[in-house]
Amino acid sequence: MEGCQSDRAGEGFGETVSKLLSSFFKEEKTKLSGDAALLMAEMLRVFVQEAAVRSQKQAESEDCDQVDIEHFEKILPQLLLDF
Amino acid sequence: MSDRDESQQRLKAAVHFTVGRLCQKTGEDHRRDFSRQVIASMAETAFRQCDIFAKDLEAFARHAKRSTVSTEDVKLLARRSNALSIYIQNKSEELNQEHRDLKKKNTGKRKARDTEEESRE
Repeated sequence: MEGCQSDRAGEGFGETVSKLLSSFFKEEKTKLSGDAALLMAEMLRVFVQEAAVRSQKQAESEDCDQVDIEHFEKILPQLLLDF
Repeated sequence: MSDRDESQQRLKAAVHFTVGRLCQKTGEDHRRDFSRQVIASMAETAFRQCDIFAKDLEAFARHAKRSTVSTEDVKLLARRSNALSIYIQNKSEELNQEHRDLKKKNTGKRKARDTEEESRE
């Protein structure tokens, strides 16, 4: 059941990603192929997941109960370099 | 607010929602909550990263004299981290395999229909 839910959520996200990327293109004629859109949805999912997991690990290493903004700020530089 | 701004606001909200859900799951897995400030920051970062990605993809496609961004452009985008590069390449292969499987299925259907018609004659 949980698996189905996440799949449906994934489809919605894929469409959002597609529209979002398209809105940032500088030229009207630039389009995104279907497969490229799917891959980009994956890439962004990984981006957010990495951000979350790394922030969580940072909070853990500092013995904090909650993941706060400082933890995210600390991992952000390396995250951006990796992407 | 212009139409474009409105739709971007809606997309931003959608990103925020997905990020929130992902953080909730990660938080549950590791029994540590994410503050609302962190979720908002992550969503904003993801949103801005999309802008950077989009501009890069557009530049890659234009460099290859194409107006449609392809999977090759996405693979190039993922070049900075080895693990990410391999992950995206594998996903691309998965998609290609799905296309091939679908083609085989459709060809199979057509062949079956043809033999059916033949046998009726």
